[in-house]
Amino acid sequence: MRASLRVVGIESTAHTFSVSVVSDSRGVLSNAKDVYLPPEGSGIHPIDAATHHASVAARVVSDALQESRVDSGEVDAFAYAMGPGLGPCLRVGAVVARTLALSTGKPLVPVNHAVGHIELGCLLTGAKAPLVLLISGGHTMVVFHASGGWRVLGETLDLTLGQLLDQLGRHVGYASPCGPRIEAAARRSKKFLALPYTVKGNDVSFSGVLTAAKRLLQAGAAFEDVCYSVQETAFAITTEVTERALAFTGSRDLMVVGGVAANRRLATMLRTMAKRHSARVHVVPLAYSGDCGAQIAWTGLLAFRSGVSVPVSESTVRQSWRLDTVPTPWR
Amino acid sequence: MRLVYRGAEADVFLGQWCGGRAIFKTRKPLDYRLPELDMAIRSQRTVREAQMIHLAKKAGVSSPFLFYVSAPESLLVMQFIEGERLKSVLDSSPPKEAASLSEEFGREVARLHRAGIMHGDLTTSNVIVNDGGLYLIDFGLSVRTSRIEDQAVDLRLIKETLVGAHNPRSKLLMSSLLDGYSSLLGKEKALQARRKLVEIERRGRYARVE
Repeated sequence: MRASLRVVGIESTAHTFSVSVVSDSRGVLSNAKDVYLPPEGSGIHPIDAATHHASVAARVVSDALQESRVDSGEVDAFAYAMGPGLGPCLRVGAVVARTLALSTGKPLVPVNHAVGHIELGCLLTGAKAPLVLLISGGHTMVVFHASGGWRVLGETLDLTLGQLLDQLGRHVGYASPCGPRIEAAARRSKKFLALPYTVKGNDVSFSGVLTAAKRLLQAGAAFEDVCYSVQETAFAITTEVTERALAFTGSRDLMVVGGVAANRRLATMLRTMAKRHSARVHVVPLAYSGDCGAQIAWTGLLAFRSGVSVPVSESTVRQSWRLDTVPTPWR
Repeated sequence: MRLVYRGAEADVFLGQWCGGRAIFKTRKPLDYRLPELDMAIRSQRTVREAQMIHLAKKAGVSSPFLFYVSAPESLLVMQFIEGERLKSVLDSSPPKEAASLSEEFGREVARLHRAGIMHGDLTTSNVIVNDGGLYLIDFGLSVRTSRIEDQAVDLRLIKETLVGAHNPRSKLLMSSLLDGYSSLLGKEKALQARRKLVEIERRGRYARVE
């Protein structure tokens, strides 16, 4: 057996095109990325994002290889994000991965983007089988591992936390992702305006929060007061269902991952809550909490080691691919 | 008083009330929430839980007797029901027994829905198995409603819990539950709720419902 296994991972589910090299002995060796930024006031247009990815792909691949000091001939497998995500963006990543796999004669490994967030988080935080809060533009889910897969204990019934913040931000002319600017605006206010608080069992709903927040803005409420109230309400809802899952599973480890994990107010709320249950909170480091190639490369390595791969001729992308349908033979 | 369960939002103690054993359920202030938001939620849920337990009992659903309610203290005192949570019983019982418990659970849910109550938090932790049968507890998120959508949301949470926490048996348990559910509610209404359940699942993110 070889001393070290090396896998390249390609992430291109949404606004980020990123390539990473990982090894089973040394972890993440490189994590190059180029992020598509939409114009002010708009969201991610799938075609524009895909065009961006195609134009930066070659450079990001070579940056990742150079930084890791690994030659493409020394790579054992090429992993790509098969889904879920925006179709045109996914296809760019898949084409790049297929090209690399064919030109080197190495296997192709399909990876679920959401599972990628979780497995990379476990690697970086050292949490073994935590309860996971996955919060991003694409997901708002409470997940834990049981009987061969990551299982969803609770999730949003409509908008994700990322979408809630983005749509509120875009309403006043910001470009996605709007989270950091909303957090900054919220910090300037202490005036709480009541918004709908919707918890349905372990599930949450944010569409009412967004509608009410837009109405408040139309009625002349100050933007920072609305941001403050939206954060306080939506984060309390999220923390509450996370707490339910923590009590239900009896887990002592909570891992927070995804782009919205960068929000400090939410992290504070989760820490305060976890204390009551003597649970540790593991927040994935900022550089890796958002979308990145490392999540695909590392999960690709785990999957490849367990025998997962796909022939190039049968490789596809799946815009809809729930993480609870993915078997995890490496766990 | 002895702490018997530390839930997500409430602490549950076993104590004495008028010479007998009783459950004291207090919704403690949650310090991660803004105090004004927290206070409103706690007192609203305490009152609602009391009202809904009352309604559920009237509809013939087994649930604890209420002894005392205090909204400002977010406190409920109620009958102590001896037994185990359905969550652990389902995992420790042989498949046949687990399926029949699940069927009985389905009938209790149907009884609630027939009476126009949505429980709102039907996880297997909120059902107590006692010699005499199943008892439903924790009505803090319950709502008076006869909308099929709301009934389907109840079924969805049960399914989510079964798939999430009792995965190897979840198909068997869910189909037994639905058998019990439609046996009491009637085929037509049960089918409507099940169709709505599929519709809600399809609305879910990245969902592909087979």
